[in-house]
Amino acid sequence: MSTTVAADAPMRSARARRRPTASFKWMVIPALLFAAGMIVLPFFWAIWLSAQETMIGGEPRFIGLGNYQRLLADEEFWNGFRLTMLLWLLSLALQLVAGTWLGLLLARSNAARGLVRTVLVSPFMLPPVVIGMMAIVILDPGLGVANWLLARIGLGPLLFLADPGTVMLTVALIDTWQWTPFVALIVLGGYLSLPRDVFEAAEIDGADAWQRFRRVTLPLLAPTLVTAAVLRSVDLLRFFDVIYITTQGGPGQSSTTLNILAYRRGFEFFEFGYAAALMVTLSAIVFGSVLAFARIRRSVAW
Amino acid sequence: MGKRRRAGILDGIQLALVLLVLVAPVAWMVLSAFKPRTEVAALPPRIIFTPTLENFVELFARTDFLENTLNSLIVAGGSTILGLVLAFPAAFAMSWHRMTWPATATLFARMAPGTLFLLPWLMMFTFLGLVGSHLVLILTHAVITLPVAIWVLLPYFDALPREVIESAEIDGCRQHQTLLRVALPMVAPGVVVAAILCFVFSWNYFLFALVLSGFDSKTAIVASFNFIGEGVTNWGALMAAATVIALPPLILTLLIQRHLVGGLASGAVKG
Repeated sequence: MSTTVAADAPMRSARARRRPTASFKWMVIPALLFAAGMIVLPFFWAIWLSAQETMIGGEPRFIGLGNYQRLLADEEFWNGFRLTMLLWLLSLALQLVAGTWLGLLLARSNAARGLVRTVLVSPFMLPPVVIGMMAIVILDPGLGVANWLLARIGLGPLLFLADPGTVMLTVALIDTWQWTPFVALIVLGGYLSLPRDVFEAAEIDGADAWQRFRRVTLPLLAPTLVTAAVLRSVDLLRFFDVIYITTQGGPGQSSTTLNILAYRRGFEFFEFGYAAALMVTLSAIVFGSVLAFARIRRSVAW
Repeated sequence: MGKRRRAGILDGIQLALVLLVLVAPVAWMVLSAFKPRTEVAALPPRIIFTPTLENFVELFARTDFLENTLNSLIVAGGSTILGLVLAFPAAFAMSWHRMTWPATATLFARMAPGTLFLLPWLMMFTFLGLVGSHLVLILTHAVITLPVAIWVLLPYFDALPREVIESAEIDGCRQHQTLLRVALPMVAPGVVVAAILCFVFSWNYFLFALVLSGFDSKTAIVASFNFIGEGVTNWGALMAAATVIALPPLILTLLIQRHLVGGLASGAVKG
């Protein structure tokens, strides 16, 4: 052992001397310039816009935090905030529970391969527009096949996306349909990387299936679940596509989440300053949730 | 043993139900696309019918959907190439010098709502006279593809033996030659995965083209959305359009499905 090290040492230093000192760092520059122009500059521009009062045909006027004051007093903002939180918590809970169940089912039956895997990845690789179009046709209150199926088992008919009372639940279920397999595959990956012997030890100690899940599997999977929660939260808090495609925020304001509200104020009413304030606020909410999850992740690490 | 077996059968039933729920809506979409106009909305649903292409004929003959699809190909292809060209050297240098901050910074773009960038972009590109062009869509979609490409490529570069690059340097390779002739062939599988993910993400993306595309650059995604808005009551044609735009992502992801979750979760899993 020691002889190899001794023989190695002079060679290494000789190579180190010959090693070129050139750096590859310049290769980051094109990407950084692009990011500076397309991401950083627009970000600060948006913040600057949010400090202005803009009206069509008039000159923009600097009003500091005026837009944010207006926002805090705006009933539509609070409606959007409530709907955003509702969609986030409801979908996240559904997807984490169903995803954990499905992920462990896949692990037990060793089934996530070939055609089964194709079926599992398909929903979340489909364009949101396709999801929306399917929802419109299948969930149509009068002619959709969903109500026909419900009628077979003596339920319904429901208005789904057309009813202010069920629209958010419907959107949450659509998103759960689309993203539960994604959560499940993350859970599966996390589960397969766990040490086997812990489960065997628990079984030998006589723990029943529920105890093994509650006391062993779940704590060990916690960091994986937090990862899945972060990824889904970022998408859910700024949810836009499927709602805008199916309802545009309606009926009334019943599905006007913060991102929908910001979009409509900006691109339908052209209130750029106020819309920017909404968007900056939403961004802060998303970043805040990511930071919160980072803390949670540290606390469940093992 | 009998208990194990029963549990196995129970698992099988649950799994079959899950797969049914996942497949059924997509199967319904495809079936509807091939149904004759009179039977698309028929209830009880017709499972047995004579398949027809009339919905696709109507879609491509009566609308600009063919041009829209070509626009989508140009935008997705262009932003994939732009994203890779920027990400490939950047990811190499980040991996080589163990730089973490640029990768973390790109996550920022993934987290912020797209609407936030869209307002300044609309003003910037209106000023530059680019709104409605393919170029503006390629540039904005590259904001999606660049972080994806970097995060997919990083682990491939990390796995590259340092000696290979060092000896290429010693042999007098210029830096860009080292990158293209030595590193590129070795990380080619990663480039393929990155390219496919970038293409699919750009193809699927809705919001930027909704605001920034014009008549000549409208993507198939936005055109399909407009069909809904125009109150197209012909569900057959609507489902035909949905089937057409669903096809590229489904086929492409089939090729790389084993790498898919890692690619989508990149950043969060490592971080």
